[in-house]
Amino acid sequence: MLSADEAADLIEAIASRQDRAAFAALFRHFAPRVKAFIVRGGADAETAQEVAQEALVMVWRKAASFDRSRASAATWIYTIARNKRIDLLRRSARPIDTEDWLVVYAPEGEEADKSVLAGQTYTRVKELLGGLPADQLVVIQKAFFEDKTHTVIAEELKLPLGTVKSRIRLALGRLREVFEKDEP
Amino acid sequence: MSRHPAPEELLLDYAAGALPEGLALAVGLHVALDPAARRAVDRLNALGGALMERESEAAVDETALERMLARLDKIAVEPRPPPFVPRPGFEWAPPPLARYLGPNPHWRRVLGGFEEIRLTMGGDSHRVSLLRLMPGRGLPVHRHAGTEHTVVLQGGYTDETGNFGVGDFTFGPAGEHEPIADPGDPCIALIVLEQPIVLTGPIGRWLNPLVRRDWI
Repeated sequence: MLSADEAADLIEAIASRQDRAAFAALFRHFAPRVKAFIVRGGADAETAQEVAQEALVMVWRKAASFDRSRASAATWIYTIARNKRIDLLRRSARPIDTEDWLVVYAPEGEEADKSVLAGQTYTRVKELLGGLPADQLVVIQKAFFEDKTHTVIAEELKLPLGTVKSRIRLALGRLREVFEKDEP
Repeated sequence: MSRHPAPEELLLDYAAGALPEGLALAVGLHVALDPAARRAVDRLNALGGALMERESEAAVDETALERMLARLDKIAVEPRPPPFVPRPGFEWAPPPLARYLGPNPHWRRVLGGFEEIRLTMGGDSHRVSLLRLMPGRGLPVHRHAGTEHTVVLQGGYTDETGNFGVGDFTFGPAGEHEPIADPGDPCIALIVLEQPIVLTGPIGRWLNPLVRRDWI
C-alpha cells in the first residue's frame, strides 16, 4: 500500500530529479487501479491497459504541475485518467488538456480554496465513502465509473428512476455536509 | 456563492467525465468563474480519486512496467507551465474556452442585433456559441426544441426569472425568455443548445448515451 503522503513524495521526486524508481512505485500502485477504472467504463482489457499506461506517462511528463496543496496524488491521477477516458470516448482530434488548468489558472488569494487543505479533503472523502450505506455507494460508483445515465443505472439495479436520483442526492448531500461547516 | 449555481448532479457528471463536450465546456467555465463550484468539483474529483483507490488490487504487469521505463528515456519531465495569460480582446475568456477560440476568432453580426462566435465541437450534438449583446439590447424571442444552458462570461443580463452576472449558470427550455443586457460592459455568454434528439426510442437512446443525460 501507498499512503497519500508517500504518493505525493513520489510525484515530487519525479518532478525534481526524474526519479525512475519513484515512477515504478507509482506505476505498481496506480496502473492496476486506473485499468480497473477504465474497464468498469466498458473498455476491453487491452484498451484499458493502454489508457492506464498513457495516463502514467502523463504523470511522468506533468509531475512538475502536481501541487499537493491542491489535490491528493490519487485525485490528481484520477483526473488524468478520466481525461484520457474522455479522449478515448470522443476520439477527439483535439485532445483535452491534461494540463490541470485549475492549477494554472486558480486565482490565488481568493477566499476560495485553502479553507480545507487538499489532503484533508481526500482523507475526509475516503472516510465518508467508508461510512456510506451500500445502496448509496453502488449508485455513486456507477455514476462515476460506468458513464451511465441515471435511467440506465435505474434499469440495471431494477430500481425506480426516482430512487436512483434520490440516492445520488443523498450521497452528494453527505459529501457536502462534511465540508460545508468549513466554508465561508 | 454564485446566485445561480449549476445543479450538483451536473457537477457530478462533469467530475465523472460523462458530459458531452459542449456541456462540459459550459460547466468548466462556470467552475472557472465560481469559487463555490470549484470547491464542489474539487470534492467530487477527490471522490473519484478515493473510488479509484478502492478498486481491487490487480496484478501488475511487470513487463509493461519494463517497457514503460525504457520509453521514459525519450520522454522529458516538463517544466511547470507558466500562468495563464488572457488573450488581448478576449480577457473574459478563461482557459477552458481559450483553446476553442481558434487563431482568429471574430464576432459575426446576426440579424436581431447581437453578435455570435460559433464554436465547433468534435461530434457533439449541441450547438455551442458565444453571444455578445450590447447594453440595453435584448435577444429576439426564439424557439427551439431542447434545453438551453447559459454561462455569463462578461457583463450581465436580466429576464423575467432574475438577474444573471459573471459565472452564473442557468438552463431551461430554449428561447422561452427575453434577456436584456445590463448597463456597463457588453454581455457575453456561452450558450449551449441541445439539438433536437434524433434517436428517441428505447434502443436509440441506448445507442446515444451521451446525447442526453437525465441529471435533473
